Amino acid sequence: MRLTSRFGAAGLAIYFWAFVVFLFAPLAVLLIFSVNKSPTPTLPLSGFSTKWFHDAFGNGTLTGALLRSIEIAVVAAVLATALGIMASLGLLVLRGRAAALALTVLLLPLVVPYICLAVGLLILVQQVGAKPSLVAVVLGHCVIVLPFAILVIMPRLRSLDPAMNEAAEDLGASPFAALRLITLPLLAPALVSSGIICFVTSFDEFAIASFLAPSGQPTYPVFLYASARTPALLPEVIAVGALIIAGSLLLVLLAEGGRRWAERRLVGELAAAAPGLPELDDEQPPATVAVVNS
Amino acid sequence: MTAQAGTGGDSALIKWLRPGRGALVLPPLLFVGVVLALPVAFITLYSVGLRTNIPGVPTAFSLTSWNDFLVGGGSAFRGRFVYSMEIALFVSVLTTIAAYPLAYFLSFVARRRRYALLLLLLAPFFTSYLLRVIAWQIILNNNGVVNSLLWTLHLRQHGNAISWLIYSNFSVALVLFYTWIPFVSLPIFVVLENMDHRLQEAAADLGASRLTTFWRVTFPLSLPGVIAGFVFVLIPTTGEFITPLLVGGPNNQLFGNSIQAFFGDTPNWNYGSVLAIALVAVVIVLTLVFGRFLQTDLRTETRPGQ
Repeated sequence: MRLTSRFGAAGLAIYFWAFVVFLFAPLAVLLIFSVNKSPTPTLPLSGFSTKWFHDAFGNGTLTGALLRSIEIAVVAAVLATALGIMASLGLLVLRGRAAALALTVLLLPLVVPYICLAVGLLILVQQVGAKPSLVAVVLGHCVIVLPFAILVIMPRLRSLDPAMNEAAEDLGASPFAALRLITLPLLAPALVSSGIICFVTSFDEFAIASFLAPSGQPTYPVFLYASARTPALLPEVIAVGALIIAGSLLLVLLAEGGRRWAERRLVGELAAAAPGLPELDDEQPPATVAVVNS
Repeated sequence: MTAQAGTGGDSALIKWLRPGRGALVLPPLLFVGVVLALPVAFITLYSVGLRTNIPGVPTAFSLTSWNDFLVGGGSAFRGRFVYSMEIALFVSVLTTIAAYPLAYFLSFVARRRRYALLLLLLAPFFTSYLLRVIAWQIILNNNGVVNSLLWTLHLRQHGNAISWLIYSNFSVALVLFYTWIPFVSLPIFVVLENMDHRLQEAAADLGASRLTTFWRVTFPLSLPGVIAGFVFVLIPTTGEFITPLLVGGPNNQLFGNSIQAFFGDTPNWNYGSVLAIALVAVVIVLTLVFGRFLQTDLRTETRPGQ
């Protein structure tokens, strides 16, 4: 007996697709108004125009904020991924209470509310006699994305076949060479996932940036928030927002597709090199699932 | 060195990592200590008056701010705190209930395409949060998409906007619900996927109807995922402050907004620190109480026979 009757299955399908519409509707609204001629986002639509895109990219404050956020996100993602590799390698050999305690501390940033961390960092910056700066934003972002990096990298590291390193060392590789030539390449899909998740999170972060970015150097979300309350700037915000939403949806698809492709290729290569090795499960859950359920 | 590599009981990977390599966790730990624990420690000092940002005020241990927040007569911020928790709780319950059928659909109806559809559900979550709130502002505004659509269709007199659509409890709850629902369906989905499906078959074999099988077998077994999903919304919404800023009115500001104000426009870091520590405490208690439900692993748990 199937768990759902035909009728129930149809009802659930309708419910699901209704939610997909609900979830994508606001995104669609931004996309539609980004090419709407009128400067106020209201119905009826007033005709097609790409004016707002031209205006947006002619707005130095906006493009500056965008570039600033990209730079911050790249640095935070690289730093967090590097720290994530170290933490995962260390956690692999730690046992018992030490491992549990280390993991708990490393995952703490997941539960501390961003607003609290933001004001705490503001206090810290003032205590050490510094001024709010983009460096402080990078450090704050790095600490909030570090758990994501660990949760993506650690399961992948655990799943690696130790025989690979064994073979490398049998063939005379130093531990560092084995790490560089064997472990890191095998970790590549997880490192890419980690980099993307960290980048996206940092790029979008508002609380910490709003407290720590110097007033003349807003990050993109900080600029976005300020402009959302300025009707004259709203159309440009919508235009760039539409591009960013389209871009991030594409990135999610590419990341997932790329990961599956890389894993399949890896499986193929391994199977060719060493027939008889057990195959990986073909249908892996998305990396995003791994983040949440670790 | 190479000769013994394959002979030991432990794997070579563990072996070359073992001598002192656990120390690799120290730099990340130190980093979290300096950038997370130290700021929280400083907030604590501020909350008890051992530090202050107000010039001329002497620093000495004092529980005045705590006292005012916790037991002071008619503290506005305690009221804000209670209001915030009510909103967070309401949104979390609603989101969890609405997310369950989505997860159930993915796991039991959409069998073969389930990961692709899951990604579809999660994709909006990975676009900018701020942009999505701005999109809702455009939709719910007084001359926004909903109102102007009603006017265009002559369902409502032009210029006569629905008053509760924005800057209300409704708009704040709706946007929070919208934000978190994809995320909540995830742990429920994971639990449904890991379930031993032979139990459901057994129930059916023993004559249970589909509904009975669901209520007596599937649902109770999925409770860890339901609770995890609930906590996944509850924890971040208790500290929420962006949504009320953009779609909430003065009466719909949450506790996070109070904290923000004390460190922004009307600075009083000492009182703000009390509120921040109270929020951290709530979140830590929630994590301790529900922590064991937050660990469900799709990959390591086995799912015998189907």
